[in-house]
Amino acid sequence: MTCAETIELETPPAPAGNPVRLPMGLLGFEQIKDYVLVVNPGEEPFAWLRVEDNSALAFVVVDPFVVLPEYKPDIPPADVEFLGLKNADDALLLGIVTVHGANHATMNLRGPVVINRHTHTGKQVIITNANQYSVQHPLPVADNVA
Amino acid sequence: MLILSRKPGESIVIDGHIRVQVMRLEGDVVKLGIEAPATVPVHRQEVYEEIQRSNQQALTKQSSPLPKLAGAAKPPAAAAKKMNLSKP
Repeated sequence: MTCAETIELETPPAPAGNPVRLPMGLLGFEQIKDYVLVVNPGEEPFAWLRVEDNSALAFVVVDPFVVLPEYKPDIPPADVEFLGLKNADDALLLGIVTVHGANHATMNLRGPVVINRHTHTGKQVIITNANQYSVQHPLPVADNVA
Repeated sequence: MLILSRKPGESIVIDGHIRVQVMRLEGDVVKLGIEAPATVPVHRQEVYEEIQRSNQQALTKQSSPLPKLAGAAKPPAAAAKKMNLSKP
């Protein structure tokens, strides 16, 4: 698994997406634990973290390093242990995107979703250096979408 | 909620391995020192609540339109390596 493929899990991306289990849910959505990571052609670098039920509820996610190459999150030891991460390449990071409008979107850099590529288990992690980053980091959205 | 009175310098111990000490009072600010194993995450409550609110705001339907990023998105070269994994 090369780093350039950070949006992909170990198994090849299936059209239906890759299952992701968040045993602790997302903050505020602790009861929802099963998701599917869907990457649609033409929508990259965005992907969807879709709730694994029939609700069509989903979160827009993005590889934070695509937007902010200098992003350097510190993952707390408890989370490294919980996720069974042996080295940084084991982890897929996703920033949850909030679409505020056609020309305004932000991503959460304080609480990225960290997924073990091999087990597909993840957790929303509050990074140790959260005070260096914003929960609403602006995305460079194109002014006009024709 | 258990309410305890403590003076500066005094502590409470939680579960035998987490110590919270009142360091000092500065006006209406209480400085707390927290000694906990590295595997116990300690955060300000506001950070939790801020991320909760952000998640609630971010929840959407999969059919909703996505923004277009300005400029070509750069491939995240060696991206994962920039992350620091703290060893337990």
